[in-house]
Amino acid sequence: MRKDYGKKTSWEKNQFIWGWFFILPTLLGLIILNIIPIFQTIYQSFFKTGDFGKGNIFVGFSNYTRMFQDKAIWQALWNTVKYAIVEVPFSIVIALILAVFLNRKMAGRAIYRTIFFLPMVAAPAAIAMVWRWLYNSEFGLINHLIGRKINWISNPDIAIFAIAVIGIWSIVGYNMVLFLAGLQEVPRDYYEAASIDGASGIFQLLKITVPLISPTIFFVAVTRVIGAFQVFDLIFMVMDKTNPALIKTQSLVYLFYRYSFTEANKGYGSAIIVLLLVVILILTGFQLFAQKKWVHYN
Amino acid sequence: MKVKKIVSILLASILTVSMIGCGDTKKQQQDTIEGFNSKGDKLTVAIWDNNQQPGIQKILDEWNKESEIKAEVQVITWNEYWTLLEAGASGGALPDVFWMHSNQSQRYSENGLLLDLTDKINQSDKIDLNNYYNDIVKLYESDGKQFAIPKDIDTIALWYNKTMFDEVGVEYPNENWTWDDFYEAAKKLTKDDGSQWGYAINTGNNQDSYYNMIYDYGGYVINDDKTKSGYDDPKTIQAMEFVEKMLREGLCPELEVISENGADVLFQSGKVAMVTQGSWMVAGFRDNEYTNKNCDVAVLPKGPDGKRVSIYNGLGWAASANGKNTEAAWSLLEYLGSKEAQLKQAQLGVTMSAYIGTSDEWVNSVDSFNLQGHLDMLDAELVIRPYSRNTNVWEDMAIETFKGAWTGEMTMEEACKKIAESMNASLAEE
Repeated sequence: MRKDYGKKTSWEKNQFIWGWFFILPTLLGLIILNIIPIFQTIYQSFFKTGDFGKGNIFVGFSNYTRMFQDKAIWQALWNTVKYAIVEVPFSIVIALILAVFLNRKMAGRAIYRTIFFLPMVAAPAAIAMVWRWLYNSEFGLINHLIGRKINWISNPDIAIFAIAVIGIWSIVGYNMVLFLAGLQEVPRDYYEAASIDGASGIFQLLKITVPLISPTIFFVAVTRVIGAFQVFDLIFMVMDKTNPALIKTQSLVYLFYRYSFTEANKGYGSAIIVLLLVVILILTGFQLFAQKKWVHYN
Repeated sequence: MKVKKIVSILLASILTVSMIGCGDTKKQQQDTIEGFNSKGDKLTVAIWDNNQQPGIQKILDEWNKESEIKAEVQVITWNEYWTLLEAGASGGALPDVFWMHSNQSQRYSENGLLLDLTDKINQSDKIDLNNYYNDIVKLYESDGKQFAIPKDIDTIALWYNKTMFDEVGVEYPNENWTWDDFYEAAKKLTKDDGSQWGYAINTGNNQDSYYNMIYDYGGYVINDDKTKSGYDDPKTIQAMEFVEKMLREGLCPELEVISENGADVLFQSGKVAMVTQGSWMVAGFRDNEYTNKNCDVAVLPKGPDGKRVSIYNGLGWAASANGKNTEAAWSLLEYLGSKEAQLKQAQLGVTMSAYIGTSDEWVNSVDSFNLQGHLDMLDAELVIRPYSRNTNVWEDMAIETFKGAWTGEMTMEEACKKIAESMNASLAEE
């Protein structure tokens, strides 16, 4: 360690300036588009908002007290949780299995990888419209194929799961690509050694692959939980507002949209989104804590 | 390593593809947002109905011929329209000229977002507000000032499938029908195997379904002062119980089927024999081969006391108060409200016009249907679509609560009383 610790060499100074310079665009974007709005939203949640952002009246915690008594909010939170419980694990497990298969040498590998990734490129609204017609109970392809009449998206008991299936389908390819990238870091020799010792494929997957790419799995799990809790467009596009299953499928963001934009009650909408923020913070904090138990960094 | 190389190339190409994908949607969004900013050299005109675009474009072309400043029309779907308008209103970038709806007009007028047209109308020799249906003029009036020029008028009528009527030998709907005749016909037109229903109620749109029945039965939805709900009125409940009866007896498809498809789609695909639909659907039914060939339209049935009410509404043409070129915007509004343009709107079959006496032309704009049914509804007792300052709040609540009654979780009477209670509470907050 040098004695003149406080002073920087010109090389260090350069590093410092250029470092900040390079992250500046992202930093500015984050501050303007994410961080400032977060505080504005929290601020707004204490107001009965007037029309078009004018004439806000401070009402203290009344949006929050109303929210805690609103059964629809808790139902929406429960819907969101149900969606996440289905979407996150399935999208991770399926993507992991696909990634392992598509990491082997096989004919048409690139084509398969591209096909699985394609839903990610399509517009969510278009995906939702196509699935809405697939699920249609009268004219839908799915009911036509299985020869039964199931109300996939209007039966309150199953609609949220039907929507989660669309979510899984859209996100699997993206998760798969992340896992493929992670798999490149796993040395081949481990598998060779394991094969010589007579370990089966599944055993290798669970004992070698999963631990070694656990940092990637962790990353995907954290981002997917956040993403799943923010589900909106699928529900908005698939569920008509007269749909009897709507109350059992609407997510917190859906309610936020409804109150903020169709009912022009931005204060209450903001309170809902603050609740969502807190829920996501708690879940992510828990995941960060739990990672010590299962994520292996080299 | 070779594998690594291939993977990285693949990843890179996938990312590029996805970024192009994102880029496209971003660009589209940007176009829409930029389109909303008036540039001064052209006027942006925002509407929400795709069916009307070709006709509106033709009318604007006429104006463009005379004017140095050109008007460009943009269609944004109903839901996004109000989200974008709300954002534009808060951010100060509204389109120059746009459609206004009775659900929203009070909020926009009171906040000074719409160009005050009062003096301009007084000085104009083309616009005289007495030429339009009075209730529609009033929709866009606030504090004695006028904020929009009436664009059109709509009525609800009974659309029916002639082929299905012929099949079971039921007489086509006529002006003597009461809702009980309607019920009897629906009963005969319903097939037991679930392949055909007599009637499909449009649960998502009150104006073209149960509102008419409520008023025919002598009930009401909101009082004149906009302070009290009429859903707990015994007459209202009686009308809603009529709807309940049709649902329970299976003469209407279950709510699941309606919400997944929409009453209009079921009608267009030959699943139901009758729907009550607004005149704004004419273009859609005309362009659908099936309805074009098999269907026609008649006046709505009467209530038990012989009362026939037409719940009607009309859009307004409004301009932004903060537009870059409000003079040109006014000149466009003046043209759009003129007898010439209103007549053209009717002739082109866009919609019936708000200018009294121009709609006879509209009847002749489509050969395949006898649109007299829609026009005759103008001679029925006209009731403007119930509204208040924040209509969406109680309308959406009613749609949500009625679901319980449609599916049978609660009786219609319970649902109506619950709605009245909740609606009174939200009206008190307005």
